[in-house]
Amino acid sequence: MMPPAFSKNFFQKIISIRAAMKIKVTSLLVDDQEKALKFYTDVLGFIKKTEIPMGDHKWLTVVSNEERDGVELLLEPMAFSPAVVYQKALFEAGIPLTAFNVDDVQTEYERLVKLGVTFSMPPTRMGPATLAVFDDTCGNHIQIIQV
Amino acid sequence: MTFYHQQLIKIRDEVYPDAYVCKRIGEAKRFMDRELECSMSLADIAEEASFSTFHFIRLFKRLYGQTPYQYLIAARIAKAKRLLLSGKTVKDVCFSVGFESTSSFTGLFKKLTGSTPTAFKNKYVKQKSGY
Repeated sequence: MMPPAFSKNFFQKIISIRAAMKIKVTSLLVDDQEKALKFYTDVLGFIKKTEIPMGDHKWLTVVSNEERDGVELLLEPMAFSPAVVYQKALFEAGIPLTAFNVDDVQTEYERLVKLGVTFSMPPTRMGPATLAVFDDTCGNHIQIIQV
Repeated sequence: MTFYHQQLIKIRDEVYPDAYVCKRIGEAKRFMDRELECSMSLADIAEEASFSTFHFIRLFKRLYGQTPYQYLIAARIAKAKRLLLSGKTVKDVCFSVGFESTSSFTGLFKKLTGSTPTAFKNKYVKQKSGY
């Protein structure tokens, strides 16, 4: 028999509490917020959602043009020095910090190459998906994926 | 070639079946995406990819992490959410995304989203009107 703290009712309460959480913002470390905003809007095509001054930096988010009420991407400044080490290590290994879905990786690859974006991995099949990885000019590799 | 690229290719070669099989499974998935509103059996979908039904289910789950049926239901419910938000009635949406009864539609909608289609729609209308 389960102890009272782990009764069925207890787990149902936990599940109902968890179900109330939503993913509203995810973040990406960038070395320069202004440069990042330009790249993520002018080149990638995201839309600026929020810009709130916060001392030396800003609360700066962008959203997908197709999902303006969707998850916001926070372009987060690197004010914490160990973050620089972390970002550098990922970049040198070519590991993407995050990934965005696209309808057609090949088309997006060609569009971005024309805009001068550098790819560390051209469109590559991975089972049922196609992936490519580019340099966001802000210290990160970013993956685009078509499933 | 970066470390990441090397690892990706290594995993791909170890984990996935050959590219031709992946392509056929991908085609079956796109068939489901295109024909969401149609009544379709697993045999129909498997035939689209030229596999036996059970072999198809196994391969699909290996590649996408869910069975074709789970994928189809999730895709139908995702489309239903978009249609509900566009102002269509629950009944219209139900038949627009391939369900044959509103009770099975409502049950599956609630199971996947946590609320009934009507509650989902009402919540959105309230948010939009600011209440």
